[in-house]
Amino acid sequence: MAPFSGRSDRRTGPALASYRFSWRVFDVLEALAAQWPARAMGLVKWFLLLPALLIVGLLIFGLVVMADASFRVMDFRTYQLSEHYSTANYVRLWGWGAFWATLWRSLGAALLVTLICLVLAFPYAWALTRTPNRRLRRVLLVGLFLPFFVGQVVRAYGWLVILGYEGIVNKALAVFGLGPYRLLFSYPAVLFGLVQYMLPFAVLMLMPALAAIPEEIERAAASCGASPLRAVLRVILPMARPGLIAAALVVATLTLTDFAMPAILGGGTNDFLANLVHDQFFRTSNAGLGSAIALVLTFLGTTIAGLLLTRAGTQAFGLRGTS
Amino acid sequence: MASTVVAARGRAGETSAPAVEAQGLARRYGTVWAVHDASFRLERGQFLTILGPSGSGKSTLLKLIAGFERPDRGQLRLFGANMDGVPAHRRPIGMVFQRLALFPHMTAAGNIAFPLEMRRFDPREIPARVARFLKLVRLEGLGDRRPHELSGGQQQRVAIARALVFEPELLLLDEPLASLDVRLKEEMQLEFRRIQRELGVTTINVTHDQREALVLSDRVIVMARGRILQEGDPETVWRNPAHPFVARFLGVGTMLRGQAEPGPAIRIGDRLLPGRAPNPLTAPRPGQPAVAALRAERVRIGTTGALTENGTRLAARVADVVFEGERVLYELVVPELGEAQLRAVDLDPGSHARHRPGAEITVSWSPDDLLLFDASLDPGSDS
Repeated sequence: MAPFSGRSDRRTGPALASYRFSWRVFDVLEALAAQWPARAMGLVKWFLLLPALLIVGLLIFGLVVMADASFRVMDFRTYQLSEHYSTANYVRLWGWGAFWATLWRSLGAALLVTLICLVLAFPYAWALTRTPNRRLRRVLLVGLFLPFFVGQVVRAYGWLVILGYEGIVNKALAVFGLGPYRLLFSYPAVLFGLVQYMLPFAVLMLMPALAAIPEEIERAAASCGASPLRAVLRVILPMARPGLIAAALVVATLTLTDFAMPAILGGGTNDFLANLVHDQFFRTSNAGLGSAIALVLTFLGTTIAGLLLTRAGTQAFGLRGTS
Repeated sequence: MASTVVAARGRAGETSAPAVEAQGLARRYGTVWAVHDASFRLERGQFLTILGPSGSGKSTLLKLIAGFERPDRGQLRLFGANMDGVPAHRRPIGMVFQRLALFPHMTAAGNIAFPLEMRRFDPREIPARVARFLKLVRLEGLGDRRPHELSGGQQQRVAIARALVFEPELLLLDEPLASLDVRLKEEMQLEFRRIQRELGVTTINVTHDQREALVLSDRVIVMARGRILQEGDPETVWRNPAHPFVARFLGVGTMLRGQAEPGPAIRIGDRLLPGRAPNPLTAPRPGQPAVAALRAERVRIGTTGALTENGTRLAARVADVVFEGERVLYELVVPELGEAQLRAVDLDPGSHARHRPGAEITVSWSPDDLLLFDASLDPGSDS
C-alpha cells in the first residue's frame, strides 16, 4: 500500500483534467489509511467485527439474565422473583403435561416442515438454477422473493380469509353442497402455514449448492448409464448435501422457534414453545417459568444446529475447514 | 438399460455396420446452425479426431453423438442402430469430459464402479473389474483416494477408466487434454493411444490441437462454422488440405493472394507462379481471384540445389529471424510479389547466423507445394 500511496500516483499519473473524482476520494482515504501504524494492522479486522460482536454479546448477556431468572421463583403476592435460587421452575416443567405436549408439537413441526420444505424446495431450486429459459427463471425468482414482501403476520391473516369458516374455500365448497369444514385452528393448518412461510428460505439456501454442481456432472452420470432419477439420487443429492444441510438448519430452527403461525393459524389450540414463553411473560407474568421454557427452547435449537453442523461441517455454508 | 447395451452389442456381433453413420446431422441454436449437414462414417476400431477452432461446432457434433443434444435434422446410427429418441444413458458410449466431471463424493474406485452399478453388472464381478481397470490406467493402490486427493494426471486416468470400464462400443473424448501442460499432454496422448489400441474401442476425439489430431488419429475431420470441410487420414489432410481454411488451421504459414491462371497457376504482380489445386471443388477458376498456400517447411533457402522442373525461384529480403530451438523461422519479404510476406523454416539452426534481418537471399519451392484455392473461400487471416 505504502509505495503506491495516492500522492505519488498523482504526480506520475495522467493530466489533472482527466483525473477522476472517485480516484481523488480514494487518494484521500488511502492517505488516511497510510497514517495507521503498520504494527496495528492486525487490529483492523477486530474493529470491523466489533458491531457484530457487540450484538452477539448483548444476546449472550440476555441469555445469562434469563438463565438467572429461570432459577428464581415468582412470588405472586409481590410479583417479585425470589432472592434465593431453586430448581422449582424446571421441576414444575418436568411434571407439566401441557409443556411436554407443546415441546413435542414444536419438535414434530420442525421435523415435518423441514422434510416437506426440502422435498418441495429441491425441484424449485433445480429448475431455477438449470432452466435455459430466461423468462421462466425470472418468473421463478419473482415467485421466490414475493413472499418476503408480505410479512409473516399478514400472510397468516391471509390464510384466515382463505381457510376460515366463512372463507373462500368453504364458500367454493358450498357451491357443490359441501361443508362448511373447520380448516383452521388445527395442527395441519399450522404446518401448512409454516411450510408456505419457510419454502423460500429453503430454496434460497439450496440454490448456491445446486448452482455449484457443473452441468458436465449430469452428463457424466448419464454417460455412465444413470437414468435421470438415479443420477439425482446417486450424484446430485450427495453433491448438494451442504445445501440440504444448510436449508434444513435454517428451516428447522426457524420453525421450532416460530410464534406467529401457531398463534394465528392455531388460534391457541396448537401453541408452540414460543407461545408458551409469551404466555408466561405477558399473561401469567411468571418471568421465572417463562425464562425456564425459553432456555429449554434455546437448548433444543442449538442442539439441532450443533448436530446438523457436526454432521456436515461448516462446509454447509461454503466455509473452509471441517469444524 | 443393460439390455440396450447388450442388444447393441448383439447387433454389433451379427452385422458389420460401421460404428458411426451420421447423415445430414444438424443442430440449431436460435437462428445459428451450430452443426450444419454433417455426414460421415466411422469404421469399427478406428480413432477419429474432430478438429476445429472454438465455435466450429465440433463440441455440438459430439453432444449429438453422445445424446446430450437432439438433432434438428438428420439421422445418427451407432453400430447399425438408429439413435433417434435414444437418451444418453441408454447409448453404448463412454465419455471423458473436458473438465473430467469426476464425482467428488466418491473414491476413485467408486467413480470407476459407478457405470458398472448403473448398467447392472453382476455385483460379484464389479470389484475385480474395477481393479483390472485401475491397473490398466496405472492407478493400482490409489483406488480409495478421493478425486481431490489425486494429481491432475491421475484424475485424467480415473476419468479414462470410468469411461472404459463397462467396455463401451464407442469412446468419446471432449478435449480432456486441453487444460494440461505440454509435457503431461503428450504423455496422456500416448496413454490414450496405448489404451485405445489395447481395447480396440472405436474412439471419437474432439480437439483444437492439430498436433494431437495428427498424433492420435486414424481419421481426421476438420470443421469450421458448423460444417465439415474435410475428412481423411491425417497425412492426406496435412498434405492435401481441401479448403483454404483447413490449410490455415493446419499451420500453413504463407497465404498469397493473386489471380488464377490456367495451368493451374497464380499471377501475383507480373510473376506467374505454377501450383497445384488439391481439390477440384475448391480450385480457383482462371481469371478469378485465387489464394495460394505455402508451408514454411517446403520453402528452400539459398541457391544451392537444382530447381525442380517448373519450380519457382525468387529473391527475398529477411525481415525477421526467430530461433525456435530445433528450427529457425524466417519472416521474408518478396519484392517481386508486391512486397508479399513469406515464411520459411530452416531445420539447421547453425545456419541462422548466416542470414540476419535485412539480408538478401534466394528462396525456391516446387509447384507441388503451392496449393491453389478459390479466394472467395478463404476466411482471411483473422481465423
